[in-house]
Amino acid sequence: MNEITSAIQLIPLEHYIVLSVTLFSIGMMGVLFRRNIIAILMCLELMFNSANLLLAAFSAYHSDPSGQVFVFFIMIVAAAEVAVGLSIVVMMKRNVESVDINLLNRLKW
Amino acid sequence: MNALIFTTILGIIILYLGLTKNKKILAPAGIAGLLVTLFLSFNDWGLGSAYFHNMVVFDNFSIAFNISMIIITIVIFLFGIDYYKMMEFHVAEQYSLMVFALVGAFLMTSFSNLIILFLGIEILSIPLYILAGGKKFSFKSNEASFKYFLLGSFATAFFLFGIALVYGASATFYLPEIKTYIAQFKGNLPPMLLIGLLFIIIGVAFKVAVAPFHFWSPDVYEGSPTLVTAFMATVVKTAGFAAFYRLLGIGLLPLPESLEKALWVMTGLSLLIGNLVALKQYNFKRLLAYSSIAHSGFIMLAMLSQHDRSASVILYYTFVYSIASVPLFIIFILVKRASNGLDHLKAFQGLYKKAPWVAVFMTILLMSMAGIPPTAGFIAKYQVFILSISQGYLGISIFAILMAVVGIYYYFNVVREVFTDRDHLEPLVITKLNAGLIIVCGIAVVVMGIFVWHLPI
Repeated sequence: MNEITSAIQLIPLEHYIVLSVTLFSIGMMGVLFRRNIIAILMCLELMFNSANLLLAAFSAYHSDPSGQVFVFFIMIVAAAEVAVGLSIVVMMKRNVESVDINLLNRLKW
Repeated sequence: MNALIFTTILGIIILYLGLTKNKKILAPAGIAGLLVTLFLSFNDWGLGSAYFHNMVVFDNFSIAFNISMIIITIVIFLFGIDYYKMMEFHVAEQYSLMVFALVGAFLMTSFSNLIILFLGIEILSIPLYILAGGKKFSFKSNEASFKYFLLGSFATAFFLFGIALVYGASATFYLPEIKTYIAQFKGNLPPMLLIGLLFIIIGVAFKVAVAPFHFWSPDVYEGSPTLVTAFMATVVKTAGFAAFYRLLGIGLLPLPESLEKALWVMTGLSLLIGNLVALKQYNFKRLLAYSSIAHSGFIMLAMLSQHDRSASVILYYTFVYSIASVPLFIIFILVKRASNGLDHLKAFQGLYKKAPWVAVFMTILLMSMAGIPPTAGFIAKYQVFILSISQGYLGISIFAILMAVVGIYYYFNVVREVFTDRDHLEPLVITKLNAGLIIVCGIAVVVMGIFVWHLPI
């Protein structure tokens, strides 16, 4: 544990923050602009994992294990969420024969 | 705590009761279990016990909200007996998913650690993503489910990133410790902490459908099966506002000025958008969705007034709103069935001739939603205004009162349709149980408006 912590601390904290913010932004842009549902799900995972990376880095820098424990919780919940999300996609695919998000336009004001 | 454990087991029991292929025992089993949960919750009253290294604290605040949500869930289950009668398969899953969502709601009312808040929100949301897609072969239901899932996860990602940033600044997930950490800056927060708090607030605001994070709610409300919509509009909203109040109360208040301004803007926007867009809605479920956004605005007003009585006012408001809106959804189901799936407001035409007393009770319930005396909805709104005016927020209170007046118009649009004639009348089929429940809810609203002006907390 100590070796990993010191290995993480070899890189300055700012680098981790910039990297996770970049990953988060890429994921967000992907969710907003991609039109394929599978790609959108992947981008959502990217957003979750950028938060994980940030938590792990902060946890090492604060020498406080609770951040890393939280990462496990996030991974479990994200897995459950993607399982539900993919099953919703399969259900939709059976009805509309497509994974294009532009078909979701029946509910409008 | 016993209530939390028992509810979890109850969900699993109902799931396995589905294997017996006997649909009739599901709802009674669920209701019996929920009554036991209610009893266990009453037992915990006043103890204020903490579990998991103080990550979960069952104080009176959380127990009061839990009891209110259990009562609403029991009412929804009772309506479910008739609603799921036609459904052949997977009825047990519907009930048990609602119970699992209730477990998440319990965690959301009792957290004192951001990890538990995150888990609570997710345990509440994931069953709802499935429930929203309950009608497998309906495009609308598919779409509602996917939209809810996508936007829900998107908001969760923001929420998590916010938690990560706050953790980076303060090195803790415990809200009381975060509060002392914030207090030492005296209003001048470092940017990382400020952005983190903003992201956390966005995540929670999304769950309670406060404008400008409300875009999912009308679509999801319209597309989901109506009983699930009733669950979303009542239990989820109550849990969300309990979590929001708790987050602000034990963690973030007094807020830095910029964040407080952001919350006031959200309040004003919810009142404005909710009420004005509802004027143009002719689909009943969308109408109630926008009205629920408007109600969020009123509850936000009570929450931001920051008074000792805020919690009690929020509890009263959410309970009264829930007890009035569940029967409205049910009447809508019955009317929709009678008119071959028409979900325009016109479906209500001729209701007073088909079933005069349903029309009368529907008027009472809509009066409560609009806030007209002698119903409980009036008392709820009155208390919110008294609270916010006494705390000196005069401008926004006057604005909220104006918006409440606008609200009366669209609720009475529905009442007008109910008392309009129609040429050919289809018979309205209504079971004795449903009729009794609608009457009980209608009477409860009036009795609460006259005698019970605040709930103990």
